[in-house]
Amino acid sequence: MNGVGRSVPRVDAVAKVTGAARYPADVAGPELLHAKVVFSGRPHARMVAMDVAPALAVPGVVDVVTAADVPVNEYGLTMFDQPVLVGVGATGRSAVPSDVSRWEGDQIAVVIAETPRAAAEGAAALRVDWEDLPIVADLEAALRDEVLVHDETATNVYVHDRIRKGDIAAGWAQADVVVEGTYRLPHQEHAFLQPEAAVSYLDTDGRVTVEIAGQWAHEDQAQIAHALDLPPEQVRVIYTAIGGAFGGREDMSLQIVMALATRKLAARGIDRPIRCVWSREESIVGHHKRHRGLVHAKLGATSDGTIVAVEADAYLDAGAYNYTTNKVLGNLHLTVSGPYEIPNARIDSYGVYTNAVPGGAFRGFGSPQGAFVAENQMNKLAEVLGMDPVELRMRNVIREGSIGPTQVPFPPGVSMPEVIEACAQAAADGTDEAAAFSPIASLPSVGARIRRGRGFACAFKNVGFSFGFPERCEATIELHGDEEIERVVLHHAGADVGQGAHTVFRQMAADAVGVDLDKVDTVYSDTATTGDSGSASASRLTFMAGNAILGAAEEADKRWRDGDRPAVGEFRYVPPPTDPYDPDTGRGAINFAYGYVAEAVDAAVDLDTGHIRVHRVVCAVDVGKAVNPKLVEGQVHGAVVQAHGYALTERLVVVDGRIVNPRLSGYLVPGALDIPDRIETVIVEHPDPRGPWGARGMAEMPFIPYAPAVVAAIHDATGIWFDEIPLTPDRVLAALRA
Amino acid sequence: MTVNGTRYDRDVEPRTLLVHFLREELGLTGTHVGCDTSYCGACTVIVDGRSVKSCTYLAVAADGADVRTVEGVAVDGTLHPVQEGFWERHGLQCGFCTPGMIMSSVALLEQNPAPGEGEIRHAIEGNLCRCTGYHNIVRAVEYAAAKMRGEEPPAPDWEVPS
Ligand code: FES
Ligand code: FES
Repeated sequence: MNGVGRSVPRVDAVAKVTGAARYPADVAGPELLHAKVVFSGRPHARMVAMDVAPALAVPGVVDVVTAADVPVNEYGLTMFDQPVLVGVGATGRSAVPSDVSRWEGDQIAVVIAETPRAAAEGAAALRVDWEDLPIVADLEAALRDEVLVHDETATNVYVHDRIRKGDIAAGWAQADVVVEGTYRLPHQEHAFLQPEAAVSYLDTDGRVTVEIAGQWAHEDQAQIAHALDLPPEQVRVIYTAIGGAFGGREDMSLQIVMALATRKLAARGIDRPIRCVWSREESIVGHHKRHRGLVHAKLGATSDGTIVAVEADAYLDAGAYNYTTNKVLGNLHLTVSGPYEIPNARIDSYGVYTNAVPGGAFRGFGSPQGAFVAENQMNKLAEVLGMDPVELRMRNVIREGSIGPTQVPFPPGVSMPEVIEACAQAAADGTDEAAAFSPIASLPSVGARIRRGRGFACAFKNVGFSFGFPERCEATIELHGDEEIERVVLHHAGADVGQGAHTVFRQMAADAVGVDLDKVDTVYSDTATTGDSGSASASRLTFMAGNAILGAAEEADKRWRDGDRPAVGEFRYVPPPTDPYDPDTGRGAINFAYGYVAEAVDAAVDLDTGHIRVHRVVCAVDVGKAVNPKLVEGQVHGAVVQAHGYALTERLVVVDGRIVNPRLSGYLVPGALDIPDRIETVIVEHPDPRGPWGARGMAEMPFIPYAPAVVAAIHDATGIWFDEIPLTPDRVLAALRA
Repeated sequence: MTVNGTRYDRDVEPRTLLVHFLREELGLTGTHVGCDTSYCGACTVIVDGRSVKSCTYLAVAADGADVRTVEGVAVDGTLHPVQEGFWERHGLQCGFCTPGMIMSSVALLEQNPAPGEGEIRHAIEGNLCRCTGYHNIVRAVEYAAAKMRGEEPPAPDWEVPS
């Protein structure tokens, strides 16, 4: 049986190696029309007038969709604070003001034409009058509150989380040593390789249909239905092959506007599919980023290495709209003190509007920023104490039953100590130098001008939606046959963004029903044929879908035994509920499951050029149960290399609300020559009592501790702490020469 | 030009890029577009034996040339060893970079049947992948190289399901 625990090949591999896989830009259709989305190009400006007549006069232009065409002109995954299209006095039945552009990527119109070129010419011909407003360029400017990004909020700081645990003054009184730091976190661009694209049309049942690559088909459907003021059943979302996502497809890009375009043409009696394909530049300008931020942090311990107090003030640049900032901030808020049991804590975290590109979901979802601070602080503390960083961690690490910063015990299945030990052991095993793992000055230099060092960091992150969100996941299983089960059909909406979810779902279905893998057929990711799965995010799909599949299989089995043919089992898995942070103290059971990870990095610095080469990465990650070990390894490799970009090469330049380098030639994601020489994956299987087959989520985890581990390795090599990334050669060289 | 063994005679506008000709005119959508600056390699095809980025190659420049795309590397439904390698050794995730990676790898192995790891990394330097972290792509190419030399590919570093 090829069920759970085997490295079976991916279900989508043949289509992907032959070129047969269809991504949104590959979807054609008879009489295809082409759309161009028009961005405001203005970080902060009030629209005074827009004249579409010159655009309509361009030969080949069929129509122009504007704010006036949006029945409910508002959008937002967690709060409606953004117009779908910016336009003068055209809010529809929304209260969200529609006439101000708050970032350069605000959309103002969609031009529909016979050819892509005509659409582009139509877009260029649109006449728009703007009144420019002062730009809130960054956090510093926003905190002065001289200019408000949203008139409706009294201050640009629109969300504030607090943690008040223990007695912070008493904590400082006990501390023998204190480390303090101010950390600056950069934006990061997802740079999924497939730029946004979509095709929209009326399906044979007359439903407004959007074929696209996203992360949560039913949420896309709900957002479209809301803006178009349609019942959800009249909207259909189908996912094609998805060319990477990493959180970057969680918010709407083309979903709503393409549905609007189809609806507008349908009202004119035009029934033709419409396609829109973004260029890389449109992609980078047009979707959110990992948040940039600023954190002041203070950590205190007794001289024996017992941590007694932690404080932090953290600021995230939300950009123009909330997107998922309030949730990302919650994760930063939780993780900024690290996976340690600290009796006294005072943490304040703020989400701040600016006129920059919105921050939003990106692999790790606030935890990379939190871990960067927490782990740098820990490594500095180890240095001050003269203690081994691993030993310092083991002394303070959370264990089963530990009370977290939110004053309640961690959910059962805490494995942070085992993961730290597994990583340290594996890192030591591969080196001749030390029997025990000791990162401090553990690696000798090569010649005079190349210095080597080793760094260590660990992290934790929630699996699934947090903070009281009604988390759930649906699955349907059909059993076909007569005497015996001959065929199993799994219906599931969960998105395969490349991580291999569809392969894993099939393995879990085969195992749950007890049949061979080749008996399982699947129907995926179409709101017309699958139930709501929740998103492909928060490292949640294996955990959530697995529980839903187990429930559906049990239900189907019951009906099979009752004689139903086919026997159909439907199941909605609902995990234990979570709480939001208490507004005053942060108290609450905010999550129901966690993943744990630790990494050791060996790196070398060229003192003449500032270049850093990472030679070896050891990543230990607790996956609970590896449903498909080879896919787990794939997530480790991918996350580590993406984090390598975050730590070393990727610098998004945003000046006065504009992205200066929205191209892959100027924003450098790692290539095959830049990556670590070796990545060793240590799969830890410490079952999550709530996980299906004991599985936990894991796809984000290996990203999280990488940057602070690299910083520690560079400190080991050079004696310099870097409180800001990416460690580009110019930044390293400047520090070396300072 | 000849594309995947079939001859096509078409009139094209002089500014038509090869990638658009392949995708829009011939419907060969396995060749992808990932950037506007000739940087990502998703559009890589083989023209007269050399891998080229078809987004920076004019269709007219391929006049009379022999063009191969990902759709043409499998022969009579049998996967090319490079395709097999990407499948067997998990050299792909989202798959968007895969056609370009495969074409760069095929071109490499036609010139150098026994590349080392460094040579493989060099050969795919112009192909970005945001998902896999490249290590398994290198393994996939090593697998294919061994197969094409008629050797047993190196054993995988994990248990193969029976
Ligand atoms: S499409 Fe990116 S290099 Fe051609
Ligand atoms: S597999 Fe997604 S870009 Fe390579």
